[in-house]
Amino acid sequence: MSPAGPHPQGPPADALLQDAEEDGDLEAEEAGRDARAWEREYADERSWEMLQEDDAGLLRALDVTAQQRERRRRHLAAPAARIRRGMIRYLVLVVDLSRAAAEVDFHPSRMAVVAALVEVFIREFFDQNPLSHLGIIALRAGVAQRLTELSGSPQSHITALKASLGADGEASLQNGLDLARAALAPIPAYGHREVVVVSSALTTCDPGDIHAAIAACKKHRIRCSVVGLAAEVYICATLARLTGGTYTIATSEGHLRDLLLEHAPPPPALQQDAPASLIRMGFPQRQPDGAASICACHADLRLDGAYVCPRCKARVCELPTECHVCSITLMSSPHLARSYHHLFPVPPYDEWQASSSSAALPATCFACQAGLPGVAGGATGVRLVCPRCARHFCFDCDAIVHESLHNCPGCECRPAAPDDPPG
Amino acid sequence: MKFNLEGLTVYFPYEYLYPEQYSYMLEVKRALDAKGHGLLEMPTGTGKTITLLSLITSYQLAHPDMGKLIYCTRTVHEMEKVLEELRKLQAYQEKELGKQAQILALGLSSRKNLCIHPTISGEGSRENVDAGCRKLTATWVRSAAAENPDIELCDFFEGYEKKGADALLPAGVYTLHDMKVFGRQKGWCPYFLARHMITFANVVIYNYQYMLDPKVAGVISRELEKECVVVFDEAHNIDNVCIEALSVNLRQQTLDGAQRNLTKLGQVVEKFKATDADRLRAEYNRLVEGLAQRGTLPQNDQMLANPALPDDILREAVPGNIRRAEHFLAFLKRFVQYLKRRMGAQQVESEGPLSFLDDLNNSAGIDAKTLKFCYDRLHSLMLTLEITDTEEFHHLTLVCDFGTLVGTYTQGFAIIIEPFDERMPHISDPVMQLSCLDSSLAIKPVFERFQSVIITSGTLSPIELYPRLLNFNPVTIQSFAMSLTRDCLCPMVLSRGSDQLPVSTKFDMRSDPGVVRNYGRLLVEMAQAVPDGIVCFFVSYSYMDAIINSWNEMGILKEIMQHKLVFIETQDVVETTLALDNYRRACDCGRGAVFFSVARGKVAEGIDFDRHYGRLVIMYGVPFQYTLSRILRARLEYLRDTFQIKENDFLTFDAIRQAAQCVGRVIRSKSDYGMMIFADKRYQRHDKRSKLPNWILSQLKDSHMNLSTDMALHIAREYLRRMAQPFDSLSVDTGTLLNEAALQRPQPMEVG
Repeated sequence: MSPAGPHPQGPPADALLQDAEEDGDLEAEEAGRDARAWEREYADERSWEMLQEDDAGLLRALDVTAQQRERRRRHLAAPAARIRRGMIRYLVLVVDLSRAAAEVDFHPSRMAVVAALVEVFIREFFDQNPLSHLGIIALRAGVAQRLTELSGSPQSHITALKASLGADGEASLQNGLDLARAALAPIPAYGHREVVVVSSALTTCDPGDIHAAIAACKKHRIRCSVVGLAAEVYICATLARLTGGTYTIATSEGHLRDLLLEHAPPPPALQQDAPASLIRMGFPQRQPDGAASICACHADLRLDGAYVCPRCKARVCELPTECHVCSITLMSSPHLARSYHHLFPVPPYDEWQASSSSAALPATCFACQAGLPGVAGGATGVRLVCPRCARHFCFDCDAIVHESLHNCPGCECRPAAPDDPPG
Repeated sequence: MKFNLEGLTVYFPYEYLYPEQYSYMLEVKRALDAKGHGLLEMPTGTGKTITLLSLITSYQLAHPDMGKLIYCTRTVHEMEKVLEELRKLQAYQEKELGKQAQILALGLSSRKNLCIHPTISGEGSRENVDAGCRKLTATWVRSAAAENPDIELCDFFEGYEKKGADALLPAGVYTLHDMKVFGRQKGWCPYFLARHMITFANVVIYNYQYMLDPKVAGVISRELEKECVVVFDEAHNIDNVCIEALSVNLRQQTLDGAQRNLTKLGQVVEKFKATDADRLRAEYNRLVEGLAQRGTLPQNDQMLANPALPDDILREAVPGNIRRAEHFLAFLKRFVQYLKRRMGAQQVESEGPLSFLDDLNNSAGIDAKTLKFCYDRLHSLMLTLEITDTEEFHHLTLVCDFGTLVGTYTQGFAIIIEPFDERMPHISDPVMQLSCLDSSLAIKPVFERFQSVIITSGTLSPIELYPRLLNFNPVTIQSFAMSLTRDCLCPMVLSRGSDQLPVSTKFDMRSDPGVVRNYGRLLVEMAQAVPDGIVCFFVSYSYMDAIINSWNEMGILKEIMQHKLVFIETQDVVETTLALDNYRRACDCGRGAVFFSVARGKVAEGIDFDRHYGRLVIMYGVPFQYTLSRILRARLEYLRDTFQIKENDFLTFDAIRQAAQCVGRVIRSKSDYGMMIFADKRYQRHDKRSKLPNWILSQLKDSHMNLSTDMALHIAREYLRRMAQPFDSLSVDTGTLLNEAALQRPQPMEVG
């Protein structure tokens, strides 16, 4: 149906490879694309997602304002106060690749959508939690397969997942939990243990008692969250409730992305879960390009620039990671600084209420200069106000400021007041 | 919270009230004010019980001259739930009002549920416990024990008896368990204490039978005052309960047993004649004067009362030809002989009581008047002969039961003799049924005796039919819808399979392989898309067997098993309980399961499939009764002649209420959600659909009708995703919840 390939957002390296192989086919396909332009629009623009059926069965355009409020409500649900967070996370991502993942209610299939979004999630995860580790487990044909060990390198996870796509058989949540627990059990106490299950299946086919597996997870203080693709399953709800995780169901691809990314910021940590302790870390220096050295991670002679472990002088290619020789945590200071914003978040913006005099309203967003709603000829949607600097922002900028920038442009432009908290 | 309802202060134990609860209270209050009867339908999950309890107890507080609240439930489990609710309400009222709000509320059940005697309470069946109790508590046993200390007595009954009228329960709410605990602590028998305390209680909760079955009601409910309010909860099948209370079935075994009983009784009479002839003579004299004065009998000697209704029992002397014990036994022998002969009929016979009596008179010389007394005469004889083991004489009691009913009623009954089961014509299994056709007979005394009777249930649609069936004039008839914060139920009418061919369980279509396959595909598709539990209801056991067989051959069952485990209800209770238990376990552990069940079966009536135990219920077909059944035909004829209810109207009404009852199993509270699929093209027709209860109809969108399997699947997927999103349960603003402040405002929501 869809003219795009199975991995519409695949990395360029793959695309190049494919180009080389399918050069001839591509032209024919290109021609086919032109002939069926309506189809491409259908697949790319997702026009059906912009429509909603009302009570009388009529189709209506989506209510943008209501939808934006709904999304904001989800963001605001996270407490904005200064709370203790588990900054050093060990997260096992359990991806369900059972028969149900081959269903096509998400386009082109659940599996392809999940794979693409998991890639986004992994990148976002390491961006927000540079000190953390992640591993992937696949559920397929009744067993749990460990795709990657817990490690800090996003690229290796993404490659491993891409390489092993293919749906088959039943999913066994119990096997997945047991394998995840085995991986997370030896983690030191300061690490925050988490399991995130991306579940397509509505049933779990277990060899033993899943309630025992859940109890074991609870005992090991593993926070298990589930993101479902189809409907609410009781056992997943129980798992999340007992282990302190969340259980959410995606209604569309965009929603699934939001739900997955909700797991990117570090979750709140309880005092008894993670006692404060000092951790030994190394801040390696970057070697200039051109100096040949044997890389510890690839076991190969490399010429490009790399980092050198300050303790054992081994060479590693990317940061953050664990030294392959002396297993010290290696990272750079910007990584550490990036984790900082979780502790001092930007205060959530308030929605502007159309009560005060609209004469002095700024017509554009302070950050992006796009037109704001509420004035004559303005856009649709919500208008937001920063409680600290009182500047007006649009919905998209609100999302960027709170999700990736973690700095309010308005507050930064203002002459600093001495009592402001940093951030 | 506390609020004013048309001048009555209502105490309600929760912070919030649903709008439909408010209107419900209003209707109940109006019925009580008018001292009339009410017929109210409100869906399950809207807090019907607490609304009723709160309104009526508040009414009692405001009008101290009002009598008791008598709350009739169908099962012991429901009784306990009501008592728990009442306890909450009571705690709140006492907090608000102090001591003056104290009430005494108790549940009454059979000896089996209340006995605390160490050995007898361990007996399995109800009859055994009853008989065991009588052996220890009968007057003659106790007087014999006074002379001979070796005879065993029940310590608890003796403890209770010693206290006499001083044995009282302090005010409070007592569940069956509380009664037992209290009884143990005091050393009193909880059963007799409870029966004694009915006179003093403000709220009594017991089973339907205690009110409707004249045999039981004559003993238990005799002394209740006129001002009482009687509530029948979950009363959608009340007409059937009424009919069952007055119907008797006799089988070959019963008659054989009755003959054995007669021989035994004959021996006992002979023995008494030799040893204690005075007793028999005393009984004879008593019978000359009139019927055994049951009122003077001690409580512990009472057995079941006359099966006929109190008004119909003649207050006159027992006819001369059965006053002597041996004459009576000879009379019964003749009667049993006659019944046996009739039972040997080769084809189905159906007749009215009049022609039956005529034939009886001609061939056996038994007249109706004598027959009328046969139950009481047997009762009196057994007391005289000091027989405690009533269980042993069960067969003979049944025969006398039959005799008395036939002798008393000439209208509204039919006698049907079937020599074999319709489904197995080669196996002789004769059965003689005395079937009551008129449901208004048994409930008539209740309406006449009590000031207000409230009949309520989640499904009473079409509500206009009930007053005609039960032959009464309610002052208020109302059906309430559910106010919802989200669409927590999603009914759909599926009329076609994916191949666009219609599906139905109509007789000429049901065995069509295309229909069977389409039904199967529907379940396979749904099993893929719906999490946890799915419940399927079929129209009958035989249809379920047939369709499961074909699904097995087509490989559909195998496909279902890939997604969910399959469990089946059978006619065996133990097996079904086991299947249900495993079904729940499969739902709990995430494997998911499908339960195949039958409309009108035990599961459809009493088992809840709430939350994840039932996310979807599929009603395969319209559950019409077996229309070739003689009893049903006789009843339909009677309804048509007496109440002018058309046959078709009644059949449809009965089928749709069963269907509504089945699908209603899936949703038990507002925070729950579930889908319902009516899989038959006949639901598409207005005359069927419009008979569904209001709370289903209001949720049945036009876009959810006349669906095919793939359309239904699409709707199901969307719906399940939508329902899985988090929602706020408190929504005072949208008007689906009322708090105290909202109720102080003038009420705009008058129900027309």
